[in-house]
Amino acid sequence: MQRRPTHVILTGDAVLKMTVFSYVGFLVILPILVISFQAFGLGLGHLWTEIFEPQAFHALRLTITCAFAMAVINAVTGTLMAWVLVRYSFPGKAVVNALIDLPFALPTNVTGLMLVVVYGPMSLLGKYLNTHGIEVIYAQPGIILALLFVTFPFVVRSVQPVLMGLDKDIEEAAATLGARKFLTFRKVILPHLLPSILTGVALAFSRALGEFGSVMVVAGNIPMKTQVAPVFIYGEIESYNPHGALAVSLVLLVCSLAILMLLHRLQNWGRDRGT
Amino acid sequence: MDSCLQRTLRVFAVAQCLSLVMCYGATAQQTRTLILGAYTVPKEAYQREVIPAFQKYWELKTGETVKFQESYIASGAQARAIIDGFEADIAALSLEGDVARIAEAGLITHNWKAGDTKGMVTRSVVVIGFRPGNPKNLRGWEDLTRPGVVVLYPNPRTSGGAMWCVNAIYGAGLKTTQAQTGTPDSAYAEDLLYRIQKNVKVMDKSGRESVTTFEMGTGDAIVTYENEVLLRQLEGRDFPFVIPRATILIENPIAVIDRNVDKHGTRVVVEAFVEFCLTEEAQRSFAEFGLRPVLTAVFQEFESKFPQPELLFDISYLGGWSGAFETIYGRNGVWTRILSRIATGK
Repeated sequence: MQRRPTHVILTGDAVLKMTVFSYVGFLVILPILVISFQAFGLGLGHLWTEIFEPQAFHALRLTITCAFAMAVINAVTGTLMAWVLVRYSFPGKAVVNALIDLPFALPTNVTGLMLVVVYGPMSLLGKYLNTHGIEVIYAQPGIILALLFVTFPFVVRSVQPVLMGLDKDIEEAAATLGARKFLTFRKVILPHLLPSILTGVALAFSRALGEFGSVMVVAGNIPMKTQVAPVFIYGEIESYNPHGALAVSLVLLVCSLAILMLLHRLQNWGRDRGT
Repeated sequence: MDSCLQRTLRVFAVAQCLSLVMCYGATAQQTRTLILGAYTVPKEAYQREVIPAFQKYWELKTGETVKFQESYIASGAQARAIIDGFEADIAALSLEGDVARIAEAGLITHNWKAGDTKGMVTRSVVVIGFRPGNPKNLRGWEDLTRPGVVVLYPNPRTSGGAMWCVNAIYGAGLKTTQAQTGTPDSAYAEDLLYRIQKNVKVMDKSGRESVTTFEMGTGDAIVTYENEVLLRQLEGRDFPFVIPRATILIENPIAVIDRNVDKHGTRVVVEAFVEFCLTEEAQRSFAEFGLRPVLTAVFQEFESKFPQPELLFDISYLGGWSGAFETIYGRNGVWTRILSRIATGK
């Protein structure tokens, strides 16, 4: 049989694009679409009651609050860390630089266990804090601590390259014009770093919304007290209530999507500013 | 074309003959593989005693070698895995409801509760574990409500087994008032659960993790299963406990999963295994590992190991599992009510 010549001639670019799109489609978009369709399939009224069911709502609120607290702390400490790593040289710098990514490599429940060992009621530190009325593990600070640990690399790693590429001339110019160090940082450097800080924070925030393994171990998981949304979702799945799980998942998904779209905006903004 | 087809046929025929010969040769020494889908608690009993004993028994009886693929995860998760296509031949789970769900999904077609033990293979009771020397002087449920007593138990939403703990407390409230006044007082029962839950510090996702948290130093008391504590004692740990005057009798089911055994052609040996679990020999093994035997004769042998609490009740006292789901775990059930009460501080 004779073959008909194909009308559409696929260029290399098109093949590459199609491959990537179908890869992303199957890997990311399809599962998310299925979840969203299932969730919206419940009907808006049903969805509403599931989300505002007291335990679900409380879990969502706790997750978002803790993630927010983490984001604020991470913005400051991550930027400082990047600053120190780029601007100073000290013995063991290479080791510290390598250690920063470790939180990504560690299984998250190991992270949780580690935090319990260090700050838990049996540890020296935990006992000391307890006598001063400070509870870390099995309370909100523990959740924030776990989130800080698992998201630590995001801000450092997004600020570091920008800082390295920053022209030192402008700082020197500011200094010769008589600006103090802090003023230089605030007026000259920070505006350049801001988009990358926000990028790191946004990534960390959406990562924190879904964090399960480490928080499960350190939080205490008391419903309406220390139970975060991913642990609530797990419970609903375990007790055969997929609707509650879907509704809360959808909220997390929408939050993450909003944050990541905002992030995209910020990146464009950063590009426009020429960093 | 023709010669090609003939050649294929010939190869096929030879292969058939070979496989026939191999089958014939293998009947003397056939290996069968059974898949056990269980919950985590009886793992040691199955792995160290019951399965090896059955393998020996079956080989003596039929000459066949039986291999086991074992999976031990939380009861509810196991039930869901089986429903979603994990081809277990046997389900050995924590609660009747989980096996019932597999049956509802159409995977179990026989009446699995028809046997003498109504489908149950082991028993236990809910107990209170405490620190060596009992520094907080804990004797019963009311002691767990005292201020400053930190209590642990797993979350009943994440662990089916944890429902036994909550059922035990709520049911004990009913049973105790019934013993005193003649009528069970549900208001007292709910209040008892509320006051204990107020002292709960950590709710892990399974019974075993809860014990681990306790052993890592958190809490003065843990509400858990008797067998879990007995197992730790067997491992040489100092883990004292008390059986409260009123508590629930835990009953764990086992069932053959018809659809999977028929698919694997393993029905005969799987049914033999389930029967074997109910022999005196296997029941004794379960008892060694801290699980209460369902056979009366074996239970009597171990009477000193397993004291009977005065006000013991089983799930039927709470209206069966469906009744418990409704009154305790339903949307407006006891559990939901006490959680909001604690959160709002009323």
